Amino acid sequence: MFDFSEPIGMLLLALTLPLVGAILAALCGVTKFAKFAHWPTIVSFASSAVVSILLLIEVGHGHEPLSITQELGTWFSVGRISVPLAFSVDPLSVVMLCTVSFIATFIAIFSAGYMHADSGFARYFALMGLFVFAMCLLVTANNFFVLVAGWEGVGVCSYLLVGYYYAKPSAAAAARKAFLVTRLGDVGLILGIFLLWQVGGYHTNFDQLFEHLAKHPPSDATMTTAALLLFCGAVGKSAQLPLYVWLPDAMEGPTPVSALIHAATMVTAGVFLLARCAPVFAASADAQMVVCVIGGLTAFLAAFIALAQNDLKRVLAYSTISQLGFMFMALGAGGAISPRYAVTAAMFHLVTHAFFKALLFLGSGSVMHAMGNVIDMRKFGGLRHLMPTTHATFLIGAAALAGFPLLSGFWSKDAVLYVLKEASESRSPYHNTYTAILALAGLTALLTAFYTFRAYFLTFWGPEKIPHEAHGHAHESPRIMTVPLIVLAVGAAFAGIILEPMTHGFEHFLERSTSIDFAREAFGKHHNLMEKKHGLDWTVMLGSSVIALAGIAFAAKLYLRGGPEVVHPKLEGVYTLSQNKLYVDEVYNVALVKPAELLATTGRQFDGFLDAIARLFSFAPRVLAAVMRPLQNGLVQFYALGMVLGLAVFLTVIVFRSAK
Amino acid sequence: MITLGHFLAVGAILFGLGLIGFLTRRNLITMFLSAEMMLQGVLLNFLAFGYFHGNLTGQVFALFIITVAACEAGLGLALFLVLYRRGRTLDSSAWQNVREAGLPPTVDVDLFAEPEPEEAMPVLPVAGRKPGAPSLEGANRV
Repeated sequence: MFDFSEPIGMLLLALTLPLVGAILAALCGVTKFAKFAHWPTIVSFASSAVVSILLLIEVGHGHEPLSITQELGTWFSVGRISVPLAFSVDPLSVVMLCTVSFIATFIAIFSAGYMHADSGFARYFALMGLFVFAMCLLVTANNFFVLVAGWEGVGVCSYLLVGYYYAKPSAAAAARKAFLVTRLGDVGLILGIFLLWQVGGYHTNFDQLFEHLAKHPPSDATMTTAALLLFCGAVGKSAQLPLYVWLPDAMEGPTPVSALIHAATMVTAGVFLLARCAPVFAASADAQMVVCVIGGLTAFLAAFIALAQNDLKRVLAYSTISQLGFMFMALGAGGAISPRYAVTAAMFHLVTHAFFKALLFLGSGSVMHAMGNVIDMRKFGGLRHLMPTTHATFLIGAAALAGFPLLSGFWSKDAVLYVLKEASESRSPYHNTYTAILALAGLTALLTAFYTFRAYFLTFWGPEKIPHEAHGHAHESPRIMTVPLIVLAVGAAFAGIILEPMTHGFEHFLERSTSIDFAREAFGKHHNLMEKKHGLDWTVMLGSSVIALAGIAFAAKLYLRGGPEVVHPKLEGVYTLSQNKLYVDEVYNVALVKPAELLATTGRQFDGFLDAIARLFSFAPRVLAAVMRPLQNGLVQFYALGMVLGLAVFLTVIVFRSAK
Repeated sequence: MITLGHFLAVGAILFGLGLIGFLTRRNLITMFLSAEMMLQGVLLNFLAFGYFHGNLTGQVFALFIITVAACEAGLGLALFLVLYRRGRTLDSSAWQNVREAGLPPTVDVDLFAEPEPEEAMPVLPVAGRKPGAPSLEGANRV
């Protein structure tokens, strides 16, 4: 048995607790304790979070590289592939584990209030437990195939939770879309893993694989291919261009599920994958460039679409896509500067984003709860007196997302902008592109501040307006829902400043990851660049503060009175474009869905044609049989006649032949 | 002078008659007798050949055939008895139900049956005006 005071034991405990919680919640569901199903989940999440934080404290100090691995036996072994159930305690996994279990705990507590009296209560909590378990498996794996197991588990759970209201056709369609679109990326992921397995000395464990790659580096083209294939998987899972279309639809599930998907468990997996595979990416500046460009474009387009959405949750969904774009921009900057800063900035933004995005989604869930499940911002407004706690916490979340100075989003966005600026000033051949991306990121930050506060003002300011679906008892949410909001708001406000600028603890801790170590080595080999000293950059801070404040001020000028929106006639076209999501769904429908349907129809017709041919072949014996069948008519004399005629023929032949 | 040809002719006639009887009659016993007649036709051939060859082979064959025919007669008649008990008929076409499913049964047409006399049609008395006769317009209106 494992010693639970050892780091690896703690890691496994934190990993298995959500699974145990899920099983217990499911058992509650089949017995008469269904309405207590939230207890096992909440308790298991909370204890998992406590264990993770203890683990962080246990391994958090020191400077030497941290990588404690453990194999729990072999999962399967076929030919040259041997897959051990390997787990590792390293800074990346510990940070992710803490974030996931901490955020999930509060989302689970909020859900207990939000999903109260829902018929699928136990199913919901069991799935949530499974979801968090799959994510923990993903982040703690020290093996590509174990990671894929978690990756697919996350996919399945998101499918089940997005389609939680499975009787609703739109929810079922959204679930299917989420599953199929991410599946497109997964193909790339699997191919990338096999390519790495082949060039990496047939290892599947991360540490052994990266070590082999460092000692026997394959050609640049191979590494670029492998990196881009892995990035395909990340694009699908983390909703980047062109596969982001599933994420806005995924809010068909209950709102806390959106919070879980957007903050902790699902979309961060892609960012984590790229951070984990940093050595592969560090060896290929071209792949990094692609990552950065895709991230930049996604961030900008999603922010643009978010400008004119009327659905509060949809604004938040597009903002998630946009913020994930920021993380990929930071990861991509690793092509020109030390991956250590690039990965750190991305992971830092991931952690702070988890706080404020969970907060914003739960806040919108609280609004939705009070408004009788109405989420259209045109139908309500001026809720700041009615729901003071929700209002205050939402404001903090929105300010953090907008990058309001000193809040967590400000610091992490600064880190991202800073690495982009460094990349644009580097001697990399791509530094001009990085400059363009930096400009795009700045513009996106401005849009982010604007649309976030547009949503905030439309919801909470202006004359009080309550939709009739609320049936007259619109109210502040119960305490079980507001307490998680307050805790997450505290996190959203202070996590950034505590983790990074004050202490630099986050960066120092992540640097000890072996992935980043190998990445630095690979990077140094490729670039011969000096690592610059990292520090606070006042120009970036000042610039981003101005951008954020300008965006907020502009939103306040337009929307402080509340709705309805008045669009300047010159901007009518842009507004319509944004409101219709740049017609991406329509374009995909015409360019991809319709041809696929056509192909399917053709295939079915062709199948029918083949069937017809097969039937023709089977028809021939039947025709023959139809001719022969009347011969058996049951009359003895008829048979005798046949014999006589046959005999006659024989005799004739014999007579004629002997006569010849 | 009776030659081999005469014997063979009588044998062939017996065989032919038996064959025609077997193929055309529906009564099981008659069919059986016809079959026996065919056997006798063959038997006569054997005897004639044996006689004209001057050996006994033909006669041995004939004895065998008679024995086999006797056995066959016993067996056949027993079968007929069973069939008769089941169906109360000796008509061989009564056992057509062993035919292929879905085929119409064969119905014998009596080619030589007397045609049924046509039923006399009722004869209507002559009435009305003869076509072409001058019109009697208005004359027989009431």
